[in-house]
Amino acid sequence: MNNEAFAELVDAHYAPLYRFALSLSRNGSDAGDLVQQTFFIWATKGHGLRELSKAKSWLFTTLYREFLRGRRRDSRSSSLEDLPAGEREPVAEDVDRVSRMDAALVMAALQTVDETFRAPLTLFYLEDMSYQEIADALEVPIGTVMSRLSRGKSQLRIALERTESLGPKVLPFPTTKGTRAS
Amino acid sequence: MTTDEAKFILCAFRPSGRDTGDSAFGEALRFAGEDPVLGAWFAQSRAHDGAVAGKLGLVSPPPGLREAILAGVRAGDSRTSVGLGWGWIAGLAAAAAVAIGVFSMRAPGRPDSGTSAYAGFAINDMVSEKHGGRGEPAGALVAELQAKGSKMPGADQIDFEKLRDTGCRTVNFAGHDVIEVCFVRDGALFHLYVTRRDGPVSDSVAGGPSFIAEAAGAAAVWSDRRFDYAVASTAGIEALRKLL
Repeated sequence: MNNEAFAELVDAHYAPLYRFALSLSRNGSDAGDLVQQTFFIWATKGHGLRELSKAKSWLFTTLYREFLRGRRRDSRSSSLEDLPAGEREPVAEDVDRVSRMDAALVMAALQTVDETFRAPLTLFYLEDMSYQEIADALEVPIGTVMSRLSRGKSQLRIALERTESLGPKVLPFPTTKGTRAS
Repeated sequence: MTTDEAKFILCAFRPSGRDTGDSAFGEALRFAGEDPVLGAWFAQSRAHDGAVAGKLGLVSPPPGLREAILAGVRAGDSRTSVGLGWGWIAGLAAAAAVAIGVFSMRAPGRPDSGTSAYAGFAINDMVSEKHGGRGEPAGALVAELQAKGSKMPGADQIDFEKLRDTGCRTVNFAGHDVIEVCFVRDGALFHLYVTRRDGPVSDSVAGGPSFIAEAAGAAAVWSDRRFDYAVASTAGIEALRKLL
Protein backbone atom coordinates (compact mmCIF):
# COMPACT_ATOMS: atom_id res chain seq x y z
CA MET A 1 0.00 0.00 0.00
CA ASN A 2 1.48 3.34 -0.98
CA ASN A 3 1.58 6.39 1.27
CA GLU A 4 -1.41 8.02 -0.34
CA ALA A 5 -3.59 4.94 0.02
CA PHE A 6 -2.49 4.50 3.60
CA ALA A 7 -3.28 8.15 4.37
CA GLU A 8 -6.75 7.61 2.91
CA LEU A 9 -7.22 4.57 5.12
CA VAL A 10 -6.16 6.58 8.17
CA ASP A 11 -8.45 9.46 7.24
CA ALA A 12 -11.41 7.12 6.85
CA HIS A 13 -11.01 5.26 10.12
CA TYR A 14 -8.85 7.01 12.69
CA ALA A 15 -11.62 9.11 14.22
CA PRO A 16 -14.09 6.24 14.80
CA LEU A 17 -11.24 4.05 15.99
CA TYR A 18 -10.25 6.75 18.47
CA ARG A 19 -13.79 6.96 19.83
CA PHE A 20 -13.88 3.20 20.21
CA ALA A 21 -10.49 3.23 21.93
CA LEU A 22 -11.54 6.09 24.19
CA SER A 23 -14.61 4.23 25.36
CA LEU A 24 -12.50 1.15 26.09
CA SER A 25 -9.43 2.70 27.67
CA ARG A 26 -11.20 5.63 29.37
CA ASN A 27 -8.09 7.70 28.80
CA GLY A 28 -7.30 9.96 25.86
CA SER A 29 -3.61 9.21 25.83
CA ASP A 30 -4.09 5.45 25.95
CA ALA A 31 -6.75 5.75 23.25
CA GLY A 32 -4.29 7.57 21.01
CA ASP A 33 -1.71 4.86 21.60
CA LEU A 34 -4.20 2.13 20.74
CA VAL A 35 -5.14 3.78 17.47
CA GLN A 36 -1.52 4.31 16.51
CA GLN A 37 -0.64 0.75 17.38
CA THR A 38 -3.55 -0.55 15.33
CA PHE A 39 -2.45 1.28 12.20
CA PHE A 40 1.13 0.30 12.85
CA ILE A 41 0.10 -3.37 12.88
CA TRP A 42 -1.83 -2.84 9.67
CA ALA A 43 1.24 -1.36 8.02
CA THR A 44 3.67 -3.98 9.21
CA LYS A 45 1.78 -7.27 9.04
CA GLY A 46 0.94 -7.98 5.46
CA HIS A 47 -1.99 -5.63 4.92
CA GLY A 48 -1.67 -6.26 1.19
CA LEU A 49 -3.05 -9.75 1.70
CA ARG A 50 -6.31 -8.47 3.08
CA GLU A 51 -9.26 -7.11 1.17
CA LEU A 52 -9.61 -3.38 1.60
CA SER A 53 -13.36 -3.79 1.88
CA LYS A 54 -12.75 -5.61 5.14
CA ALA A 55 -10.33 -3.03 6.47
CA LYS A 56 -12.82 -1.44 8.85
CA SER A 57 -13.71 -4.70 10.55
CA TRP A 58 -10.06 -5.73 10.67
CA LEU A 59 -9.02 -2.45 12.27
CA PHE A 60 -11.68 -2.60 14.97
CA THR A 61 -10.91 -6.23 15.72
CA THR A 62 -7.21 -5.51 15.96
CA LEU A 63 -7.72 -2.50 18.20
CA TYR A 64 -9.93 -4.54 20.50
CA ARG A 65 -7.35 -7.34 20.64
CA GLU A 66 -4.64 -4.84 21.44
CA PHE A 67 -6.77 -3.35 24.18
CA LEU A 68 -7.37 -6.78 25.73
CA ARG A 69 -3.68 -7.60 25.41
CA GLY A 70 -2.78 -4.36 27.16
CA ARG A 71 -5.30 -4.98 29.90
CA ARG A 72 -3.85 -8.36 30.65
CA ARG A 73 -0.44 -6.73 30.93
CA ASP A 74 -1.57 -3.76 33.00
CA SER A 75 -3.09 -4.75 36.30
CA ARG A 76 -3.89 -1.11 37.04
CA SER A 77 -6.81 -1.20 34.67
CA SER A 78 -8.34 -4.35 36.05
CA SER A 79 -10.76 -2.62 38.36
CA LEU A 80 -14.07 -1.76 36.78
CA GLU A 81 -16.91 0.34 38.00
CA ASP A 82 -19.40 -1.69 39.91
CA LEU A 83 -22.60 -0.81 38.18
CA PRO A 84 -25.63 -2.97 38.79
CA ALA A 85 -26.49 -5.35 35.97
CA GLY A 86 -30.20 -5.17 36.65
CA GLU A 87 -32.87 -4.15 34.20
CA ARG A 88 -33.54 -0.49 33.61
CA GLU A 89 -36.35 0.19 31.17
CA PRO A 90 -36.14 3.29 28.94
CA VAL A 91 -38.38 6.17 29.97
CA ALA A 92 -39.05 9.56 28.40
CA GLU A 93 -36.80 11.29 30.90
CA ASP A 94 -33.82 9.32 29.57
CA VAL A 95 -34.01 10.99 26.18
CA ASP A 96 -34.35 14.45 27.74
CA ARG A 97 -31.37 13.73 29.96
CA VAL A 98 -29.13 12.79 27.05
CA SER A 99 -30.24 15.89 25.16
CA ARG A 100 -29.23 18.07 28.11
CA MET A 101 -25.80 16.50 28.49
CA ASP A 102 -22.83 17.40 26.35
CA ALA A 103 -20.92 14.78 24.39
CA ALA A 104 -18.10 14.54 26.92
CA LEU A 105 -20.49 13.66 29.71
CA VAL A 106 -22.25 11.04 27.62
CA MET A 107 -18.89 9.50 26.80
CA ALA A 108 -17.98 9.65 30.50
CA ALA A 109 -21.13 7.72 31.32
CA LEU A 110 -20.40 5.14 28.66
CA GLN A 111 -16.91 4.69 30.08
CA THR A 112 -18.36 3.59 33.41
CA VAL A 113 -20.32 0.73 31.86
CA ASP A 114 -18.73 -2.67 32.35
CA GLU A 115 -16.11 -3.32 29.73
CA THR A 116 -17.88 -6.45 28.53
CA PHE A 117 -20.87 -4.36 27.50
CA ARG A 118 -19.00 -1.21 26.59
CA ALA A 119 -17.29 -2.57 23.48
CA PRO A 120 -20.46 -3.71 21.69
CA LEU A 121 -22.34 -0.62 22.83
CA THR A 122 -19.70 1.65 21.37
CA LEU A 123 -19.73 -0.12 18.02
CA PHE A 124 -23.53 -0.04 18.05
CA TYR A 125 -23.84 3.65 18.87
CA LEU A 126 -20.78 5.13 17.26
CA GLU A 127 -20.31 2.96 14.22
CA ASP A 128 -23.88 1.98 13.55
CA MET A 129 -22.64 -1.59 13.27
CA SER A 130 -25.17 -4.40 12.98
CA TYR A 131 -25.20 -7.20 15.54
CA GLN A 132 -23.50 -9.38 12.93
CA GLU A 133 -20.74 -6.84 12.32
CA ILE A 134 -20.21 -6.41 16.05
CA ALA A 135 -20.00 -10.17 16.45
CA ASP A 136 -17.35 -10.30 13.73
CA ALA A 137 -15.36 -7.40 15.14
CA LEU A 138 -15.34 -8.67 18.72
CA GLU A 139 -15.17 -12.33 17.71
CA VAL A 140 -18.14 -13.40 19.82
CA PRO A 141 -21.40 -15.19 18.89
CA ILE A 142 -24.42 -13.18 17.70
CA GLY A 143 -26.48 -14.17 20.73
CA THR A 144 -23.76 -12.88 23.00
CA VAL A 145 -23.79 -9.55 21.19
CA MET A 146 -27.55 -9.22 21.62
CA SER A 147 -27.33 -10.08 25.27
CA ARG A 148 -24.53 -7.60 25.87
CA LEU A 149 -26.38 -4.85 24.02
CA SER A 150 -29.48 -5.43 26.10
CA ARG A 151 -27.67 -5.45 29.42
CA GLY A 152 -25.28 -2.73 28.38
CA LYS A 153 -28.06 -0.34 27.46
CA SER A 154 -29.62 -0.90 30.84
CA GLN A 155 -26.31 -0.08 32.54
CA LEU A 156 -25.82 2.95 30.34
CA ARG A 157 -29.17 4.44 31.35
CA ILE A 158 -28.20 4.12 34.99
CA ALA A 159 -24.76 5.52 34.26
CA LEU A 160 -26.19 8.52 32.41
CA GLU A 161 -28.47 9.28 35.31
CA ARG A 162 -25.59 9.00 37.77
CA THR A 163 -23.17 10.99 35.63
CA GLU A 164 -25.58 13.86 35.14
CA SER A 165 -26.15 14.11 38.85
CA LEU A 166 -22.38 14.26 39.43
CA GLY A 167 -21.86 16.96 36.82
CA PRO A 168 -18.79 17.68 34.74
CA LYS A 169 -16.34 16.89 37.57
CA VAL A 170 -16.19 13.30 36.36
CA LEU A 171 -14.85 14.23 32.92
CA PRO A 172 -12.16 11.66 32.16
CA PHE A 173 -10.81 12.78 28.80
CA PRO A 174 -9.48 15.97 27.25
CA THR A 175 -11.64 18.03 24.97
CA THR A 176 -10.46 18.69 21.47
CA LYS A 177 -8.91 22.05 20.93
CA GLY A 178 -8.98 21.73 17.19
CA THR A 179 -7.44 23.62 14.39
CA ARG A 180 -8.42 27.23 14.33
CA ALA A 181 -7.40 28.14 10.85
CA SER A 182 -7.04 26.45 7.54
CA MET B 1 -42.49 -14.84 21.01
CA THR B 2 -42.93 -13.17 24.37
CA THR B 3 -42.63 -9.46 25.07
CA ASP B 4 -39.30 -10.00 26.81
CA GLU B 5 -37.95 -11.98 23.88
CA ALA B 6 -39.04 -9.23 21.51
CA LYS B 7 -37.36 -6.59 23.66
CA PHE B 8 -34.19 -8.65 23.76
CA ILE B 9 -34.03 -8.79 19.98
CA LEU B 10 -35.09 -5.20 19.41
CA CYS B 11 -32.26 -3.97 21.62
CA ALA B 12 -29.97 -4.85 18.71
CA PHE B 13 -32.02 -2.82 16.22
CA ARG B 14 -29.83 0.05 15.09
CA PRO B 15 -31.04 3.60 15.69
CA SER B 16 -30.44 4.42 12.02
CA GLY B 17 -33.17 1.93 11.04
CA ARG B 18 -30.85 0.04 8.72
CA ASP B 19 -32.03 -3.27 10.15
CA THR B 20 -35.59 -2.88 8.91
CA GLY B 21 -35.10 -5.46 6.16
CA ASP B 22 -33.25 -7.95 8.36
CA SER B 23 -35.41 -11.03 8.81
CA ALA B 24 -33.96 -11.59 12.27
CA PHE B 25 -36.00 -8.61 13.46
CA GLY B 26 -39.15 -9.42 11.45
CA GLU B 27 -41.23 -11.16 14.09
CA ALA B 28 -40.20 -8.78 16.86
CA LEU B 29 -41.03 -5.77 14.69
CA ARG B 30 -44.43 -7.20 13.83
CA PHE B 31 -45.05 -7.82 17.51
CA ALA B 32 -44.11 -4.23 18.35
CA GLY B 33 -46.49 -3.03 15.66
CA GLU B 34 -49.36 -4.98 17.12
CA ASP B 35 -48.74 -4.46 20.83
CA PRO B 36 -49.12 -0.77 21.86
CA VAL B 37 -47.14 -1.24 25.07
CA LEU B 38 -44.25 -2.92 23.31
CA GLY B 39 -44.54 -0.40 20.50
CA ALA B 40 -44.21 2.49 22.97
CA TRP B 41 -41.24 0.81 24.60
CA PHE B 42 -39.57 0.36 21.21
CA ALA B 43 -40.16 3.99 20.25
CA GLN B 44 -38.70 5.15 23.56
CA SER B 45 -35.73 2.87 23.19
CA ARG B 46 -34.99 4.05 19.65
CA ALA B 47 -35.28 7.70 20.66
CA HIS B 48 -32.81 7.10 23.46
CA ASP B 49 -30.45 5.21 21.16
CA GLY B 50 -30.59 8.01 18.62
CA ALA B 51 -29.85 10.64 21.26
CA VAL B 52 -26.87 8.70 22.63
CA ALA B 53 -25.48 7.96 19.17
CA GLY B 54 -25.79 11.62 18.21
CA LYS B 55 -23.94 12.82 21.29
CA LEU B 56 -21.15 10.27 21.07
CA GLY B 57 -20.59 11.13 17.43
CA LEU B 58 -19.54 14.62 18.53
CA VAL B 59 -16.45 13.32 20.33
CA SER B 60 -13.39 14.21 18.23
CA PRO B 61 -9.90 12.75 18.22
CA PRO B 62 -7.17 15.00 19.59
CA PRO B 63 -5.38 17.27 17.12
CA GLY B 64 -2.18 15.70 15.88
CA LEU B 65 -3.29 12.07 16.18
CA ARG B 66 -3.57 11.63 12.42
CA GLU B 67 -0.10 13.09 11.93
CA ALA B 68 1.31 10.91 14.69
CA ILE B 69 -0.14 7.79 13.04
CA LEU B 70 1.34 8.66 9.67
CA ALA B 71 4.70 9.59 11.15
CA GLY B 72 4.88 6.42 13.19
CA VAL B 73 4.02 4.11 10.33
CA ARG B 74 6.29 5.93 7.93
CA ALA B 75 9.14 5.18 10.25
CA GLY B 76 8.44 1.48 9.84
CA ASP B 77 10.15 0.36 13.00
CA SER B 78 8.65 -2.62 14.78
CA ARG B 79 10.64 -2.22 17.96
CA THR B 80 7.85 -0.37 19.74
CA SER B 81 4.94 -1.74 21.69
CA VAL B 82 1.65 -0.37 22.87
CA GLY B 83 1.45 1.32 26.22
CA LEU B 84 4.59 3.40 25.99
CA GLY B 85 2.69 6.63 25.53
CA TRP B 86 2.80 9.10 22.69
CA GLY B 87 6.54 9.21 23.03
CA TRP B 88 6.95 5.98 21.13
CA ILE B 89 6.47 7.99 17.97
CA ALA B 90 9.67 9.77 18.82
CA GLY B 91 11.60 6.54 18.66
CA LEU B 92 10.03 5.61 15.37
CA ALA B 93 10.67 9.00 13.89
CA ALA B 94 14.29 8.79 14.96
CA ALA B 95 14.67 5.51 13.16
CA ALA B 96 13.10 7.04 10.08
CA ALA B 97 15.40 9.99 10.20
CA VAL B 98 18.42 7.73 10.34
CA ALA B 99 17.13 5.64 7.46
CA ILE B 100 16.27 8.57 5.23
CA GLY B 101 19.15 10.88 5.92
CA VAL B 102 19.97 13.26 8.72
CA PHE B 103 22.15 16.33 8.64
CA SER B 104 23.31 18.24 11.64
CA MET B 105 25.21 21.50 11.73
CA ARG B 106 26.35 21.06 15.29
CA ALA B 107 27.55 17.53 15.42
CA PRO B 108 28.22 14.81 12.88
CA GLY B 109 26.10 12.29 14.81
CA ARG B 110 22.39 11.80 14.37
CA PRO B 111 19.95 14.11 16.18
CA ASP B 112 18.25 12.72 19.22
CA SER B 113 14.77 11.26 19.00
CA GLY B 114 13.04 14.40 20.23
CA THR B 115 14.56 16.46 17.43
CA SER B 116 13.65 13.89 14.81
CA ALA B 117 10.13 13.47 16.13
CA TYR B 118 9.54 17.21 16.14
CA ALA B 119 10.93 17.54 12.62
CA GLY B 120 8.77 14.66 11.42
CA PHE B 121 5.75 16.23 13.00
CA ALA B 122 6.47 19.55 11.26
CA ILE B 123 6.96 17.91 7.87
CA ASN B 124 3.81 15.86 8.20
CA ASP B 125 1.78 18.85 9.25
CA MET B 126 3.20 20.81 6.36
CA VAL B 127 2.08 18.25 3.79
CA SER B 128 -1.40 18.11 5.32
CA GLU B 129 -1.91 21.58 3.78
CA LYS B 130 -3.91 22.94 6.69
CA HIS B 131 -1.94 26.05 7.33
CA GLY B 132 -1.98 29.73 8.04
CA GLY B 133 -1.79 31.73 11.24
CA ARG B 134 -4.62 34.11 11.97
CA GLY B 135 -5.15 37.00 14.27
CA GLU B 136 -3.35 40.32 14.41
CA PRO B 137 -0.31 39.11 16.41
CA ALA B 138 0.14 36.23 13.97
CA GLY B 139 -0.04 38.67 11.09
CA ALA B 140 2.68 40.78 12.66
CA LEU B 141 4.87 37.73 13.15
CA VAL B 142 4.38 36.66 9.54
CA ALA B 143 5.34 40.14 8.38
CA GLU B 144 8.57 39.93 10.36
CA LEU B 145 9.32 36.48 9.01
CA GLN B 146 8.78 37.59 5.44
CA ALA B 147 11.10 40.59 5.74
CA LYS B 148 14.04 39.95 3.45
CA GLY B 149 17.15 39.03 5.36
CA SER B 150 15.51 38.74 8.78
CA LYS B 151 16.47 35.88 11.03
CA MET B 152 14.08 33.50 12.74
CA PRO B 153 12.52 34.96 15.88
CA GLY B 154 13.75 34.10 19.36
CA ALA B 155 12.26 33.86 22.81
CA ASP B 156 11.93 37.62 23.18
CA GLN B 157 10.00 38.02 19.94
CA ILE B 158 7.41 35.30 20.55
CA ASP B 159 4.42 35.87 22.83
CA PHE B 160 3.22 32.30 22.73
CA GLU B 161 0.07 32.71 24.80
CA LYS B 162 -1.00 35.83 22.96
CA LEU B 163 -0.51 34.21 19.57
CA ARG B 164 -2.40 31.10 20.59
CA ASP B 165 -5.21 32.94 22.28
CA THR B 166 -5.79 35.36 19.43
CA GLY B 167 -6.43 32.71 16.81
CA CYS B 168 -3.03 31.68 15.55
CA ARG B 169 -3.33 28.16 14.20
CA THR B 170 -2.62 25.78 17.07
CA VAL B 171 -1.95 22.08 16.63
CA ASN B 172 -1.00 19.37 19.06
CA PHE B 173 2.21 17.43 19.29
CA ALA B 174 2.61 14.79 21.98
CA GLY B 175 -0.06 16.49 24.03
CA HIS B 176 1.40 19.99 23.78
CA ASP B 177 0.23 23.08 21.94
CA VAL B 178 2.24 24.08 18.93
CA ILE B 179 1.53 27.34 17.12
CA GLU B 180 2.12 27.47 13.40
CA VAL B 181 2.45 30.27 10.88
CA CYS B 182 3.24 30.19 7.18
CA PHE B 183 5.47 32.68 5.46
CA VAL B 184 7.10 33.20 2.10
CA ARG B 185 10.76 34.09 1.68
CA ASP B 186 12.51 34.41 -1.69
CA GLY B 187 9.58 32.77 -3.42
CA ALA B 188 9.55 29.65 -1.20
CA LEU B 189 6.87 28.74 1.33
CA PHE B 190 7.92 27.90 4.89
CA HIS B 191 6.03 26.77 7.99
CA LEU B 192 7.25 27.79 11.42
CA TYR B 193 6.26 25.72 14.47
CA VAL B 194 6.82 26.89 18.03
CA THR B 195 6.13 25.02 21.25
CA ARG B 196 7.11 25.73 24.83
CA ARG B 197 10.04 23.90 26.35
CA ASP B 198 7.95 22.08 28.93
CA GLY B 199 7.08 18.87 27.14
CA PRO B 200 8.62 15.62 25.99
CA VAL B 201 10.19 17.26 22.98
CA SER B 202 12.22 19.58 25.14
CA ASP B 203 13.68 16.73 27.11
CA SER B 204 15.89 15.94 24.22
CA VAL B 205 15.94 18.92 21.86
CA ALA B 206 18.88 21.08 22.82
CA GLY B 207 20.33 23.98 20.92
CA GLY B 208 20.59 23.23 17.26
CA PRO B 209 19.83 23.79 14.55
CA SER B 210 19.58 20.27 13.20
CA PHE B 211 18.40 19.60 9.67
CA ILE B 212 16.32 16.60 8.71
CA ALA B 213 15.30 15.65 5.19
CA GLU B 214 12.46 13.32 4.29
CA ALA B 215 10.85 12.49 1.00
CA ALA B 216 8.04 14.96 1.63
CA GLY B 217 10.24 17.87 2.65
CA ALA B 218 12.87 19.08 5.08
CA ALA B 219 12.86 20.69 8.48
CA ALA B 220 15.23 22.56 10.72
CA VAL B 221 14.83 22.16 14.48
CA TRP B 222 16.39 24.30 17.18
CA SER B 223 15.61 25.64 20.60
CA ASP B 224 16.31 28.51 22.94
CA ARG B 225 15.64 29.09 26.61
CA ARG B 226 11.85 29.20 26.17
CA PHE B 227 10.84 27.44 22.99
CA ASP B 228 11.46 24.55 20.62
CA TYR B 229 11.25 25.65 17.00
CA ALA B 230 10.85 23.81 13.73
CA VAL B 231 10.63 25.30 10.29
CA ALA B 232 9.57 23.02 7.44
CA SER B 233 9.56 23.49 3.71
CA THR B 234 9.68 21.62 0.43
CA ALA B 235 12.37 24.03 -0.74
CA GLY B 236 15.19 21.91 0.67
CA ILE B 237 17.80 22.13 3.38
CA GLU B 238 19.81 24.91 1.73
CA ALA B 239 16.74 27.15 1.75
CA LEU B 240 16.28 26.38 5.43
CA ARG B 241 19.92 27.17 6.20
CA LYS B 242 19.49 30.63 4.72
CA LEU B 243 16.75 31.40 7.22
CA LEU B 244 18.87 30.75 10.28
